[in-house]
Amino acid sequence: MSYLEIKNINKRFKDDIVFDDVSLSVNKGEFFVVFGPSGSGKTVLLRLLSGIMSQDSGQIFMDGVCIDDLDPNERDISMAFQNFALYPHMDAFENIASPLIAQKTSPDEIKKRVQEVAELLKIDHVLSHKPKELSNGQKQRTSLARSLVVRPSVVLLDDPLRNVDAKIRYEMRLELPKVLKEFNTTVIYVTQDYKEAMALGERVGVLANSNFTDVDHPTHVYKKPNNITSAKLFGDPTINVLNASNISSGDLSTITASKITIESNNPNLKNQRDLFLGIRPEDIQISNQAHEGAIKVELRAKTPLNLRTVYLLRFEDGVEVLASASEEESLLIDDQKDFYIRFDNSNLNFFDQSESLIQ
Amino acid sequence: MKINKKLFPYVLTLPALLVCVGILIPFFTAVYYSLQRYNLKMPHMKGFIWFDNYVRIFTDASFWNTIQVSLTYTFFTVILELLLGLGIALLLAKRTWYNNILGVLLILPLMIAPAVASLMWKLMVNPNFGVVNYFLSLIGIYDFKWASDPSTVMFTLVMVDMWVFTPFIMILLLAGLRALPKQPFEAAELDGVPGYYKFFRITLPMLFPYILTASLFRMLESIQQFDIIYALSQGGPGESSMVFQVSAYLTTFQYTNIGKAAAMMVVLWAIAYFLCHVFVKQWHKLREKTKGIA
Amino acid sequence: MISSSNTLTKIFKFLAYFFIIMFFLFPILWIFMMSFMTNDEILRKVPTIIFSPTFENYIALLKGKINTPAGVMDVFYMQNILNSFILSSCSVLLTLILGIPAAYAFARYKFKGGEDIAFTILSFKFAPALLIIIPLNLYFTKLGLYDSYFALVWVYQLITLPLLLWIVRGYFEDVSEDIEHAYRLDGHSWFKSFWKISIPLARPGIAASSLICFIFAWNNFVFALILGSSSIQPVTVGALSFITASAIPYGLIAAGIVLSVIPTLTLALIIQKYLVEGLSLGAVKG
Repeated sequence: MSYLEIKNINKRFKDDIVFDDVSLSVNKGEFFVVFGPSGSGKTVLLRLLSGIMSQDSGQIFMDGVCIDDLDPNERDISMAFQNFALYPHMDAFENIASPLIAQKTSPDEIKKRVQEVAELLKIDHVLSHKPKELSNGQKQRTSLARSLVVRPSVVLLDDPLRNVDAKIRYEMRLELPKVLKEFNTTVIYVTQDYKEAMALGERVGVLANSNFTDVDHPTHVYKKPNNITSAKLFGDPTINVLNASNISSGDLSTITASKITIESNNPNLKNQRDLFLGIRPEDIQISNQAHEGAIKVELRAKTPLNLRTVYLLRFEDGVEVLASASEEESLLIDDQKDFYIRFDNSNLNFFDQSESLIQ
Repeated sequence: MKINKKLFPYVLTLPALLVCVGILIPFFTAVYYSLQRYNLKMPHMKGFIWFDNYVRIFTDASFWNTIQVSLTYTFFTVILELLLGLGIALLLAKRTWYNNILGVLLILPLMIAPAVASLMWKLMVNPNFGVVNYFLSLIGIYDFKWASDPSTVMFTLVMVDMWVFTPFIMILLLAGLRALPKQPFEAAELDGVPGYYKFFRITLPMLFPYILTASLFRMLESIQQFDIIYALSQGGPGESSMVFQVSAYLTTFQYTNIGKAAAMMVVLWAIAYFLCHVFVKQWHKLREKTKGIA
Repeated sequence: MISSSNTLTKIFKFLAYFFIIMFFLFPILWIFMMSFMTNDEILRKVPTIIFSPTFENYIALLKGKINTPAGVMDVFYMQNILNSFILSSCSVLLTLILGIPAAYAFARYKFKGGEDIAFTILSFKFAPALLIIIPLNLYFTKLGLYDSYFALVWVYQLITLPLLLWIVRGYFEDVSEDIEHAYRLDGHSWFKSFWKISIPLARPGIAASSLICFIFAWNNFVFALILGSSSIQPVTVGALSFITASAIPYGLIAAGIVLSVIPTLTLALIIQKYLVEGLSLGAVKG
């Protein structure tokens, strides 16, 4: 059931429209990821939900009750800030204890709960330190601990793992959802890293162009993004988007993009003449052999990365695409020989002139 | 306690405003005087002459002299104190034991009432038994006229003003320096930025609002300065150090021409108003700029 | 190359310290020494460093009787010091109560007429003392406020309030808003956040401006002279009352200065530790 709901939110700063009629529904206990590039308004969304900022129009509901008139300290919402926002003149213990003090918890209970959450987040050994004595990772976890210690109904996490070392980041990606599930907290988690979104979220909302372009399970967003912007944001290296033209006769459409020709029975393609073809680098297979249906390309650049290699390839007419191959696959490819590519039609996506997905 | 969100800022600020607003009554009374022929020696002649007082002072060469002297005095005191105060603040920025002690000791000149401090300086530069003149004679400077010569009186006054008020700027800038966030400086260290670059492009811009505030108040005080000048030179020799309030004082108490004095003060008020307006505009502009750095 | 510029910097620094100490602190030392000298010793052509100190100046002030060529004069210097203390403390206290919330409002909220109110409060400083002093005197006498602490404390607000407000405003603007937001989200009321977070983090500014306001109230001359009778007169006026037609008792005035500086210096020493804090360091990621 819908627990946290925003309806028709509009927010702008002078000429900059941040939210244009945005609505969203989050279920109780759900781990919802808000994903988007920097500047897309993710932090603004959190500020609106927490009550720090007010929307220009629209309403926010929690458990069916409109909370617009409630001050931040009256909403049962916690937030972990991206820049930590720790109290510099108090030590870590007092920082974490602050919400409990606001609720007038007994000192014994406070000690117990702070200790509990600090152990969970592995900062129990630095509780007596002041913020300036903590490392970035410790500060981030202190901030997290502070937001979790009261077991709020809703927790807003603003990119909490961004400033944390890789090892702890991976650990936390496993721990965090577990901890939150235990508390049955509804979580809104903001991130700029699509891999994090895919790893953590039950559902992802892609925030771009003043609205949510996609709200779905991350795998689905990855496979069938609603528009080119989402497609580009979800994936690394970025999806290849080629200009294509379509000739339809009956239900059969023949789409041509550079040297690629595809035939499709999809009735939705019928009336589209000019469109865009999206194909992910990892869906392109490279080989030195000219298999059936392969297209000849020229190798322009090769970038070996950690677990895969990225190739920049050029069609005969000059159009360039990125293709990525796993480490093992790239070992089998000889850069001196000819390059051919193939792909599976089912992994393709078409977008119309307005950049929306053609289903 | 639910106070309407929109009204809240007013709740916070209006008490301060209201407490001070009572001053408007004497203010307008004084403006009222300025429009009158009001001389205590000739009470029967009191009456409205509208802007006559103003016309009279603006056609009086000695008033223009007053304007020039006051502006010169203000200019030099503010600029020199700013530079010196900034220099001292930078020197004392590091928290060593001697810097901490000096930081407190250097406030001492400010703690002495300017009128009394001027009296002490008058003694120290006294040609007959002044200790400063004694030291100057040791390095071969005899007969420096200090406040008794029109060519040196401004120097003397500015020097005493600097002695008293530089600590004011020093305190504010020192507190400002210590309140600056560390991140930009750490980033600059990592980038290997040279010292003077750090100073001019990071430190100084971040200090600008504090510098502006400090100079704003110094400017207001200098242009209205009375104590120091009256104690040291009474506006002389001749009229070479006749600043606004000294002139007004003499006009009021020696010549008992209250109307004229009031007119002069209204002009001073207008000049102060104008200068502040410019300052505050700059302050806001700089605040916007530095919000991007920090 | 590096070492020579280091030595150069060291020399420069040393000279800077020397000049500053000489210029600012030598006169203080001189005044201090003068307070232990008689007028004859002071008014000598060649100043002496070695002399036999005398406490007669201090005794005279403490006892309230000074010897002048014209006879023994009563002074109330100790009473003056008490007056100064009462006036300055009350003024600063009132200014803190009125000014800190207002400074916060100007720093945090953009509200209609806000900048106008801020500028108006500032504009009270534009009014030269001599402009308003005669009408003030008139009204005070009419209202029976002549010679009351209350009236002078109010007049001093015109000096201290704009100063504190604009200085502290700058400091509040430098406190990260997110820290306050975080505290509110923890569940604390606005007032608690103001009291436990905003004010402590702006402490250097509040400390510096309180000290300055205290000093300015303490040193004010013109208003105290004209608006108060001898019973509430502060040290500034008191010190100059020693001057008679026949002589300026420099030693006495010097002793007066030393005595009047003690309360202010004590306050400065107490406040000094707040002046050295830069609390925003490290708690917020820039």
